[in-house]
Amino acid sequence: MASRRSIIPGFNITMGLTLSYLAAMVLLPLAALFVKTTTSTWQEFLQTVTSARVVASYRLSFLAAFAAASINAVFGFLVAWVLVRYNFPGKRIIDGLVDLPFALPTAVAGISLTAVYAPSGLFGKPLAALGIKSAFSPLGVVIALTFISLPFVVRTVQPILQNLEIENEEAAASLGAGRMQTFLRVLLPTVLPAVLTGFALSFARALGEYGSVVFISGNMPMKTEITPLLIMTKLEQFDYPGAAAVAVVMLAASFLILLATNLLQWWGKRRGIWV
Amino acid sequence: MSIEVRNITKRFGDFAALRDINLQFSTGELVALLGPSGCGKTTLLRIIAGLEFPETGDVLFDGKSAAERTVRQRRVGFVFQHYALFRHMSVFENVAFGLRVRPRKFRPSNAEIRDKVNTLLKLIQMEHLARHYPAQLSGGQRQRVALARALAVEPSVLLLDEPFGALDAKVRLELRRWLRRLHDELHVTSVFVTHDQEEALEVADRVVLMNAGRVEQVGTPEEVYDNPATPFVYTFLGHVNIFRGRVHRGHAQVGAVEIDAPEYTDADNAPAVGYVRPHDVEVFREAGDPLAIPARVVRVQMLGPLVRLELATLSGGDPLEAQLTRKGFQELNARPGETVYVKMANMRVFI
Repeated sequence: MASRRSIIPGFNITMGLTLSYLAAMVLLPLAALFVKTTTSTWQEFLQTVTSARVVASYRLSFLAAFAAASINAVFGFLVAWVLVRYNFPGKRIIDGLVDLPFALPTAVAGISLTAVYAPSGLFGKPLAALGIKSAFSPLGVVIALTFISLPFVVRTVQPILQNLEIENEEAAASLGAGRMQTFLRVLLPTVLPAVLTGFALSFARALGEYGSVVFISGNMPMKTEITPLLIMTKLEQFDYPGAAAVAVVMLAASFLILLATNLLQWWGKRRGIWV
Repeated sequence: MSIEVRNITKRFGDFAALRDINLQFSTGELVALLGPSGCGKTTLLRIIAGLEFPETGDVLFDGKSAAERTVRQRRVGFVFQHYALFRHMSVFENVAFGLRVRPRKFRPSNAEIRDKVNTLLKLIQMEHLARHYPAQLSGGQRQRVALARALAVEPSVLLLDEPFGALDAKVRLELRRWLRRLHDELHVTSVFVTHDQEEALEVADRVVLMNAGRVEQVGTPEEVYDNPATPFVYTFLGHVNIFRGRVHRGHAQVGAVEIDAPEYTDADNAPAVGYVRPHDVEVFREAGDPLAIPARVVRVQMLGPLVRLELATLSGGDPLEAQLTRKGFQELNARPGETVYVKMANMRVFI
């Protein structure tokens, strides 16, 4: 046992504290959610989670979150690459800017994005002229989710890129590899697990986002209504079992995504990529 | 393939890393670039490889300029100090990399690649570790994989940047002897960088001594050790006793020693420094030789097969170090505090 041999005392106490803290903060509320769903029958549960409006909201939430995470996987990688590989004036400011979506209250993000993308806004106007509706459409949802989940890929990829030795690329070149081959065979495989982890975190975060989306989406049922908002609506109508049922499905999805993230990390470690 | 380095100059900002370097490496040679850190030896190696570009001058492979050729086109095998293995690839895939990235026209078939890689793994005695990842290998094993990976593309030139620098002493010794044997088998023109004089003298056919961006001396290990061209080479290669004094009309008076310095016949009372290797200091019990000077034994140190004597000449001046064999020391039988007589068997004087 670790407690017998360790030179640092207090293993039992810290372990106990950790477990009760996690139980009180995480497990208990989640268990309560499951208990709440049991107040409705299996039939009712299925009916709620498969109703057209709920399914439409799932579709929007998952697809928009997926799109946002994909966009961030590509551009977040680019941002991380530029921040690690190049030196330019204002680099620190840009580096700090990446964290802004974390720090900003989501409602503030929602309002400012809406202002910019509304049909009369800075970006919304030219987009509208092109016939593209940005705010109050699924595209608006994707924009908001991309904004709030931006830091995840950047922050997971950055340290991996920093630890990459330039020598690796020089070695590849001296062995006759072209730039594209070096990128595809040497760089990308090393960074890919980190990109995927960042992607999964972005996706999970975007899936649960509520604050910024409700402003920009317009919240039209069947069209631009995301699942968290639907849960909110059900709660406001005192349909607690219904809200819990929808929530349980989301919880399961989030859990699966976390599981996938951990599997990816385990895979990366086993391959000796993160030593 | 022969390499020629012509008038190479390289600056990093205000720092002159290389100043007008001219060197020749003939086909099949194993040459060491030796010098203290910061002397420019790694920069020179990287310029030959095409990983770095000089301000002036040119590198010629077999007489043809390589200035327009990138590292990819130069067909050099480069071995890095910290191995630079691809962490996500097994040992096998690391070695196979250079073959797999060839344009389709020149790419060997999978079976050929497998044969080639297995032959190389046999050469580095690591066939049983083909499926391992670099993280699972020791430093010495990693460096051998790096070498096999460089050899897989059949480079015309092999360049090694401090190949044993990151290894511990014993592995280092084994690996450098192994490298020498390997070179005798393959005969590919090789240049390796090191700051370890022992390594350079043991492994290389020729040694290029560098200091502060300049070449100080080029020669076989015997030549550079026995006939150092400059004071720097004297002090850098092994221990040396230094005596300060003056040279006047071909005659030197340094420390308590007087010797002829025929190369400085026109020197007029110029300040000079005399250099003597510890094993060229002869130590006697009795004052028989007219050139011998008296000295006191300060300390006796047993260094395995050798004995190191710390001496102080009775006339004052710098302390002196002598190196004897165990047998020679037993015959001398000197203890700290006793007086002995020393003679410089081989002294070089530089103004």
